[in-house]
Amino acid sequence: MGRLATVAIDGGDLPFGGGLLALVRPALNGMEPGGVLAVHSRTPAIADEFFTWCKLEHHELLESSAQTGFTRLLIQKGSLGAPRGIMEINQDLPTRAGRLDAATVLEAVPFPAKADPGTGFAPRGARVEPGGPAYPFALNDRDRTAPPDVAALYDQAVSAQWNGDTDIAWDRIKPLSPPLQQALGQIMTFLAENELSALYVPSRFIARVHPAYVEVGMFLSTQLADEARHIDVFLKRARKGGGGLGISHATTSASLHSLLMLEDFTEAAFLLSVLGEGTFLDLLRYIEVNAPDEVTADIVRRARADETRHVHFGMSHVKHALQQDPALYGRLEAAVRRRSATLAGVNGVPAAVQDALTILVARGIDPPSVRRGHETYRELLNVMHENRIKRLASAGFSHDQAQTLSDLHTPNFM
Amino acid sequence: MADENILLGAVAYDAKVVPIWEGIREHFRKQSVPMDFCLFSNYERQVESLLAGHIDIAWNTPLAHVRVQKRTEGKSLSLGMRDSDRDFRSRVIVRKDAGIKSLKDLAGKTLAVGSRDSTQARILPLHFLGQQGIDLSTVRLLPFDTDVGKHGDTGTSELDVLKALHEGRAQAGTVGDLIWVLEQAAGRIDTGKLEVLWTTPGFDHCMFDALPTLSASKLELFKKGLFAMKWEIPEHRRILELEGLKQWMPPRQEGYASLRAALDDQKGW
Ligand SMILES: [Fe+2]
Ligand SMILES: [Fe+2]
Repeated sequence: MGRLATVAIDGGDLPFGGGLLALVRPALNGMEPGGVLAVHSRTPAIADEFFTWCKLEHHELLESSAQTGFTRLLIQKGSLGAPRGIMEINQDLPTRAGRLDAATVLEAVPFPAKADPGTGFAPRGARVEPGGPAYPFALNDRDRTAPPDVAALYDQAVSAQWNGDTDIAWDRIKPLSPPLQQALGQIMTFLAENELSALYVPSRFIARVHPAYVEVGMFLSTQLADEARHIDVFLKRARKGGGGLGISHATTSASLHSLLMLEDFTEAAFLLSVLGEGTFLDLLRYIEVNAPDEVTADIVRRARADETRHVHFGMSHVKHALQQDPALYGRLEAAVRRRSATLAGVNGVPAAVQDALTILVARGIDPPSVRRGHETYRELLNVMHENRIKRLASAGFSHDQAQTLSDLHTPNFM
Repeated sequence: MADENILLGAVAYDAKVVPIWEGIREHFRKQSVPMDFCLFSNYERQVESLLAGHIDIAWNTPLAHVRVQKRTEGKSLSLGMRDSDRDFRSRVIVRKDAGIKSLKDLAGKTLAVGSRDSTQARILPLHFLGQQGIDLSTVRLLPFDTDVGKHGDTGTSELDVLKALHEGRAQAGTVGDLIWVLEQAAGRIDTGKLEVLWTTPGFDHCMFDALPTLSASKLELFKKGLFAMKWEIPEHRRILELEGLKQWMPPRQEGYASLRAALDDQKGW
């Protein structure tokens, strides 16, 4: 006697395996090792059951005493097998106008700086029983994995989803002149091919992200859904109205292959999202402005809104990582140079794409219009270059570095 | 044996025995203790192999342990046991609808018991019941002789006993407290049907045995390796958890007195 219990349970006449454990186990789970639980029970011979159970669970049965009409047991929680981590208590999440977004959750339960692969698929905030296997997660470091605004980007992405079946006025598409139809088919083929790479590249990294940074996986899954929808609508547009697909160039293939082979998440975010999808924004804008009909403009405008988020995520990721690790500037520059070296011999924008973008603006084949188309296309390349430099500067690269990196960027746009 | 490896025998009562001993061998290697193991399918052959000098040390059930001691006229060496091997007990479980209020009421009833070589589910509970003055010839025994040769390690015959009780094929049954508590903790016991009638006195379980001829250096190296395993060290803990202990303990003999007496009574040697 004399040991003070921190928690007490009255088990009435519940049998040991018939409900009493369902009270005792959660009570012990809520205690720190060394804490003492008092159990009162009217079940006969209950002390024998706890004698064995405590031995098995490595708790200490400090005392069992017969009182009038009941048995009093004192159990000291053992440290063996006790879940690690801090118990969440009184956790609450504020709502705004009845809404509860992921950014609010992240604010309440922030990312840890490092994550332990041994916690497996345990959600962030859960206490983890030791002894689980190590998982093959490679991205276990907040600053190289999870930018602070990723949950907000996820919230935006979820709200901005659209339907490539019902949201597009497919019925309003009219046949185009054959050269324009062919140009549009080529452009849509090129877009879809690039979108495929944007679907595959992030998907390679989702399973490497430690679940402590699950919002990264959540955001990337919205990106995958976006890219899937882009592929879908671009291919529909290529065929609707009597068209068909164009050519897939080896230049494009080589460029996208070099993206797919990337093994580093930050390099991939930089090359795919900042440089590639960033450049793609200007391309989509060009197609939207020069679209042959409102439906095509609508499709491309919607895709560009999605791409803006992808670029934003890539920028956030890279900026955040660069702030934490200045040596990363050199590594990213080296990644661009390596990619440029593997693409040596890739000379200029794929010819069919270049021609299609020219005809798109010309809307026909009369020489003055084609001349105007060609000039507009050349302006696009300048706009792309200028905007790449702006994005690189915003990420923290010097003007000279930005100039060099933009020059080295693939002529395939992505 | 000129082999510098300590050769340890264990019975493969479960697939997990392989990772357990590979883990322990790895741990011994890190302690610079050369050790290897071989697995037997039953304790009888393991005991004979120990006695014949084919292995240095045997990881023995209590039944195998007391047999080794008897065959060596008490000269065998006891090297260590698990913390969890101490203070085992058996339970007499009854159906609530069988009207059994005391051990005397077992007369005329069907008592399910485990394998004939299970210390906790047959040999000792029957011995202790006899000591309590129960005439076992008045009780109908329903034996489950499963996994004979494994000395009750698999627990299969105890699960058979509990099944027979749930299904009403027996009014009473004997099981070890480990299985009884584990099954309750897993929610697999219908406490509306079954309850504990009686708990036996305590007894001890497994033991590392060696012949008195084991070289002093192997003996010391084995103890050094074994007792260096610490629950706090994650790689050790994984193995200790699999083997069901938190700490290796020095041997003690008093926990086997009841088993020796039981084997005398039951002519079970
Ligand atoms: Fe896309
Ligand atoms: Fe994208």
